[in-house]
Amino acid sequence: MIGFSLRLMLRDIRSGDIVTLLIALIISVGTVTSIGLFIDRLQLSFEQQSANLLAADRLISSDDEIAKDWQVKANELSLKQAQRTSFRTMIFAGDALQLSNVSAVTDNYPLKGAYLIDDTLFGTGQPFRQPPQQGQIWMSSRLASLLNINIGDQVEVGEATLTVSQYLVRDPGASSSSFAISPRAVINMADLASTQVIIPGSRVRYALLLAGQRDDLGAYKTWVTPQLDNGQRWRTPVQKGERIGDTIAKAESFLLLAGTLAVVMSGIAMALASGRFVKRHLMQVAVLKTLGATPRVLIKVFLTQFSLLFVLGAAIGLAVGWGVQGIISSLLSGLMSTALPEPSVSRLWLGIATGFISIVAFCLPLMMRLIKTSPMSVLQPSVKIEHNTVLIYSIGFIGMYGLMCLYTNGFLLPSIMTLTIVAIGFLVTLLGWAVFKLGRSLTSGATSGWQIGFAALYRRLLPNLFQLLVFTLIIMLGLILLGVKSSLLADWQKQLPAEAPNHYLFNVQADQIDHINTATEQLDILKSDWYPMVRGRVILENGVSIQTLYPEDKGEPELYSRELNLTWSDSLGQGSKLVSGDFNAEGLSIEQRVAQEATLSLGDQLTINIGGNVISLPITSIRSVDWGSMQPNFYLILPKSALQDYPANFVSSLFISDAKAQSFYKTMSQFPTVSILNVGDLLKQIQTIIGQLSEAIQLVLLCILAAGALVLLASVSATLEERLEEGALLRVLGARKALVQQALFVEFGALGLFSGLIATIGAEASLYGLQVFVFKSQASWHPLLWALGPVIGICIISAIGLFASRTVVKVPPMRLLRDF
Amino acid sequence: MAVKTAIKVSNLAHTVNANTGDLTILNGINMDIKEGESVAIVGASGSGKSTLLGLLAGLDVNTSGEITLYDHAFSRLDEEERALIRGQYVGFIFQSFHLLPSLQAIENVMLPAELIGDKQARKTAESLLEQVGLSHRLTHYPNQLSGGEQQRVAIARAFASRPKILFADEPTGNLDEGNGKIIIEQLFELNASQGTTLVMVTHDNELAKKCDRHLVMSAGQLAEQT
Repeated sequence: MIGFSLRLMLRDIRSGDIVTLLIALIISVGTVTSIGLFIDRLQLSFEQQSANLLAADRLISSDDEIAKDWQVKANELSLKQAQRTSFRTMIFAGDALQLSNVSAVTDNYPLKGAYLIDDTLFGTGQPFRQPPQQGQIWMSSRLASLLNINIGDQVEVGEATLTVSQYLVRDPGASSSSFAISPRAVINMADLASTQVIIPGSRVRYALLLAGQRDDLGAYKTWVTPQLDNGQRWRTPVQKGERIGDTIAKAESFLLLAGTLAVVMSGIAMALASGRFVKRHLMQVAVLKTLGATPRVLIKVFLTQFSLLFVLGAAIGLAVGWGVQGIISSLLSGLMSTALPEPSVSRLWLGIATGFISIVAFCLPLMMRLIKTSPMSVLQPSVKIEHNTVLIYSIGFIGMYGLMCLYTNGFLLPSIMTLTIVAIGFLVTLLGWAVFKLGRSLTSGATSGWQIGFAALYRRLLPNLFQLLVFTLIIMLGLILLGVKSSLLADWQKQLPAEAPNHYLFNVQADQIDHINTATEQLDILKSDWYPMVRGRVILENGVSIQTLYPEDKGEPELYSRELNLTWSDSLGQGSKLVSGDFNAEGLSIEQRVAQEATLSLGDQLTINIGGNVISLPITSIRSVDWGSMQPNFYLILPKSALQDYPANFVSSLFISDAKAQSFYKTMSQFPTVSILNVGDLLKQIQTIIGQLSEAIQLVLLCILAAGALVLLASVSATLEERLEEGALLRVLGARKALVQQALFVEFGALGLFSGLIATIGAEASLYGLQVFVFKSQASWHPLLWALGPVIGICIISAIGLFASRTVVKVPPMRLLRDF
Repeated sequence: MAVKTAIKVSNLAHTVNANTGDLTILNGINMDIKEGESVAIVGASGSGKSTLLGLLAGLDVNTSGEITLYDHAFSRLDEEERALIRGQYVGFIFQSFHLLPSLQAIENVMLPAELIGDKQARKTAESLLEQVGLSHRLTHYPNQLSGGEQQRVAIARAFASRPKILFADEPTGNLDEGNGKIIIEQLFELNASQGTTLVMVTHDNELAKKCDRHLVMSAGQLAEQT
């Protein structure tokens, strides 16, 4: 029977029906595979780039020394490992001394990324992948200027005397040691013991850095996580600098969305192709039955055919997907600063699953429908087939939903998409029926293209409604992607203006402000306002102590977990917006997300301990803060009257270009007590990643739109036969080519306009859901889509429709009629 | 030796659901068709001829009564078993040919033989196509053949599984007179050479006259015409 099934299939291939199904399957598997692989490569790339900020793939930070068995386990899993011990200590150079942040690192540090060092004070630095050798110390130019020393000079760190061998421009792991704002220095781990600075009770931060294969790291994490105590944390690169994490998460959501939409398109392509397959095989099955084919034989025939189809479709689809992602990546490679990592073969299962689910969800139910074909229909074609359409489409729909869930590894995105598709289905059916009926009644007769076109729309009501749904969905998916892409890009560009502040000044005393202002003005450096800072800790919420509310710190919101920087201000400041309440009232202004985390609202009373004095204030306003603006921002802003009597130091942010950096640092060396935090490298990294992401998502968008156009073409082809027959008849009856063309244009144009309009409504609704629930950003209106949707609908659908139907007016009608 | 009964029909009735309620298409039909007989069923359009033909071949299940095909009572068989009986005993010729468009002429003819696992399917098909005068059209697709040629391929296909009973539904209905005559000649020639029982539905009185027996269908009832 297998031989017979295969022979039948081979013969079928010549007719093109199996080929259409195969192509749909290849498009499904290929699209999902290529996008899946591409996303994987991008994710790996971001992870690697972010790993440079962490100096490793993963890191465990700890208040205690790293346990020996943790190192043994890392060895067992063939992970590379390095260690870093960070502490604050005084560095002495002759009479000068300076509190510094010192890191002692092992010889193989950093595992990822590189140091930037220079032998010139305030130089821009050269990459170097090893730490200082034993007996040497590298220190930031600022620290060297504060100590008034040069390369070759000796300094004392605790009991050890070390030689300054380089100026440290960038420490790849600096960000992972929590932006220590003291000037930095690096020494070799071999010198740590001789410094004797670490004694019981010292505040020391230990880090175990790990690098290796993803699976091994995963296994290590699973092993170590249960052993971590309160002072120990497992850190991944993407967590580093929330902003990168946030940006990458949004880009991943976009790519995931793009992939999900690709899955929907694949589903539509499969549904169309299998519908066509069934239509063309109904009579074949009926004839086979009269010839003695039993249902069991037919099941075997179709199962063999679909299995072979799956194997072929999956194999070719995977190859196509692999090739396409290669092309996308090579197109993108010119724009990427580093080469994309190789795609992981293990991701191919997604394509295989897509192929399998597509066949099971779309082909098998239709096979069951085919097998139920009554052999009587060869004698009486009007015999109805017993089948449950709702059930068949439900299985397809469930399959598609399952595939989306598998793809996104969650339910939110698939649920939003599915709900939208169902809603659009209802809308299309209801409005489509009404409009086609109205169009027909307004244009009765058959003398103009308008009348014939509208008559055709109404006569083929069901197929046209289905086609309308397909057009609407494809256009909607395209518009959604376009909308999300535009908002994301706009969001990112807004987030990081070219002159976003890249330095912070801390610990500035009131009497230093004027001097620093003069210095920055002379250097023409942009600076934010000065914000006074007073440290304080929230101890009571509405009169109840925090310890009572959160015993053993369980679930304690960040607001209560540590000492906060408090400020006062007359204005909201850049990047902040009032959400509710009155900012100028005599009370607390709280940041929105922090308030949500602590479930606080207007009127709640917080009691704050500031240097031993306690004040209680009600919350009188809630602010949203754009943390991406890089301006100094605060969780709590108090009234001036509450803070003005406390000694405050001030903070400000500045944008310092590379050209001005050296002069600025030199100027600032007059203010040795002021701490400078440089986030420029981090920002540059973010800007690079955002640039790459923007390019990547535009390319993916193009790919999806191209796949969408293919599906549209397939959809038009599915109803082509009827149109061709009708066109041929019209021409036999003497209709001019122009009339036939006009009728086709009216039919497709109306379908296009209508689907464009509904698609825009659907896209706007989906975008709202996506912005609010998936991207967690502000919902916005998309006027461009309202213009684009209908125009794209008319232009593309008419163009594709007329292109696909070009045979109607080109081929002699006799030939067309003979084929039916 | 007594001649076997190929088809036996007792008290056959068939009712279908229509918008206006149940509609009785066939009622109180009884008949015996002997092996090797040729029977023509004639009658006006809508009289129930094709329905009867379909029921006799086991394409549909009658509402009451019994149809027995070589001692196999259809009412006791499910779709699977009825299909097996068809494969074993029955050949078909349709008014609109029903060749599979994706298959060449020879492949269409091979199909029934392949379904019963006949290793000689190709040889049989070639020989049959030669007998209907189409040995030069073996690899042509149905849309490359004229109506007459398509029906000749259909005749070859009907005989490919060496059926004991051949059912023909208006075999010349879609053909001109000339082609119709050729088809009839070839059909009866093959029928005679293979000793097949022929049950044919037709409007064509000339064609009906060639058969051993004439049955007239009228308002769902069957009468023997002598």
